[in-house]
Amino acid sequence: MDRVRRILWSVASMLGLLVIWWVGSVAFPAVLPGVGAVVEELGVILTTPGAYGHMWYYHVWKTAEMIFVSLVVCLAVGTVVGVALGTSDWLETATSPWVYGWLAFPSLVVVFLVGVWFGFTPLAGYIGVPIVVTPFVVLNMWEGARNLDRNLEEMSGFFGASRYQTFMEVIIPQLVPFLFTSVRSALSIGWKITLLVEALLLTRGVGFMFKRSFDNYQLTAMMAWLVVFMVFLFIVEYGVIVPLHNYMTDWRPEIEGVQPTE
Amino acid sequence: MSRSQRSADATDSDDATLELRDIVKYYGKPGQGRVLVLDEIDLDVEPGSFVSLLGPSGCGKTTLMNVVAGLVEPTSGTMRRGGRDVTPDDLSSGYVFQEPRLLEWRTVAENIEFALQARDVPESEWDERIEKYLDMVGLLSDADNYPSRLSGGMKQRVAIARALAIEPEMLLMDEPFSSLDEITAGDLREELLEIWREEDMTVLFVTHDINEAVFLSDYIYMMNEVGEMFARRDVDIERPRHYDDPAVAERETELYTEFHEQVVS
Ligand SMILES: Nc1ncnc2c1ncn2[C@@H]1O[C@H](COP(=O)(O)OP(=O)(O)OP(=O)(O)O)[C@@H](O)[C@H]1O
Ligand SMILES: [Mg+2]
Repeated sequence: MDRVRRILWSVASMLGLLVIWWVGSVAFPAVLPGVGAVVEELGVILTTPGAYGHMWYYHVWKTAEMIFVSLVVCLAVGTVVGVALGTSDWLETATSPWVYGWLAFPSLVVVFLVGVWFGFTPLAGYIGVPIVVTPFVVLNMWEGARNLDRNLEEMSGFFGASRYQTFMEVIIPQLVPFLFTSVRSALSIGWKITLLVEALLLTRGVGFMFKRSFDNYQLTAMMAWLVVFMVFLFIVEYGVIVPLHNYMTDWRPEIEGVQPTE
Repeated sequence: MSRSQRSADATDSDDATLELRDIVKYYGKPGQGRVLVLDEIDLDVEPGSFVSLLGPSGCGKTTLMNVVAGLVEPTSGTMRRGGRDVTPDDLSSGYVFQEPRLLEWRTVAENIEFALQARDVPESEWDERIEKYLDMVGLLSDADNYPSRLSGGMKQRVAIARALAIEPEMLLMDEPFSSLDEITAGDLREELLEIWREEDMTVLFVTHDINEAVFLSDYIYMMNEVGEMFARRDVDIERPRHYDDPAVAERETELYTEFHEQVVS
């Protein structure tokens, strides 16, 4: 598929979504606000300050800040713990039940607990979100470390590579795909928890705005904020994740139609 | 001190035969206690010769090769050259593994660079060496390609170029062609002999293919499945050899008979 075709298909599917929305709002006006009303509300949200005198971008920014700071913390901690688990047998035996327990721990309870411990402050979020997300990164990097190719390490050792050279040029590149998957899952779980924290504990951020609309039974405002949030997610996806993916997989050229010749 | 420096100190005895004596290796296997993999192996590698190690799958060929390479510590045994004990670090060797073992995320040229850097070869020599050895294996035009774009035979050639690029005195090759089709393997064998002749190297070559061993070697060591080295046989056939040379076929049949008496019974 060439570029133009691809773009046309994307536009078509977006239009399809709008059509479904419109049909739905005509059929069930009580539960689904119309496209026009939401666009109008969007105009209001984007031009006038809302609760506590903050503009819409303040809330989006605060949400983004919490997601990305948490992401960095999760990736750092998760990578270290995961690689340690994947390369040390005794550590794996001793602590794997902990990791599974951690994974199974209800995120809602984590949010309540950090609320009790740290109060209704952003700090609660900055601690709560990484607590929920980190085990997913651990799981990923653990798997990655278990899959490290011992043969390549042996080759590296035979040729006399230093620990540093081996780590940078042999180990890290093998973990890159797992690191990428980690970013992916950390981000998708991370924003859900961030919204939860904002809705339950804070008075700022997109999650808080959802909750406010809910409290006031403003379905149209909620939809409008959803649009803002989805646009934000798209920008993250196509502005950060896709370029990152392309950059990381540079060394794995697509093998479209290229036949090795002997 | 790096490997290359250490090997430089040992040059005085480099033209002597490398002698392995009574090499024993046990592996601990879960539930089986200790398993004997190498049973008092003696092996002589004469400088400049092409030596093959022939044996059935699982008999310990790779293990023995790894002992020479320093990747496996033998349970007991000695390695001597010119009347002196030597360690694998004293030998200047290059290794072509059973699998290519290339870094998929680096280009062909960068894979060779990896080995040159690891062996502390001065950076000023890298380009020249990369060019020389890629040219030697016929892959110069693929220097900037990634391994995932190469066929199995080409990957194995890169592995050979990588081992040659550190300019070893001895080339260790562990069934380098066994995963290739016969036509590709045949071409590579001829190329290998060409390089061996030009570079004045010693080659220690592992194989389970008698025909391959006869075609390539000056002499052949034969191992059985319990890890014993039961014979050393010369191949006195003039070079260059041809696959369809009746002398090759004849020697192959003789060794085949002997091999099967030892290994199958
Ligand atoms: N690290 C190890 N730990 C335990 N056992 C091992 C180890 N490496 C090899 N072995 C065992 O030692 C024996 C010899 O292995 P080796 O790889 O040397 O055989 P090989 O002759 O190279 O076989 P092939 O032709 O299939 O490559 C095998 O039974 C193998 O299972
Ligand atoms: Mg082997």
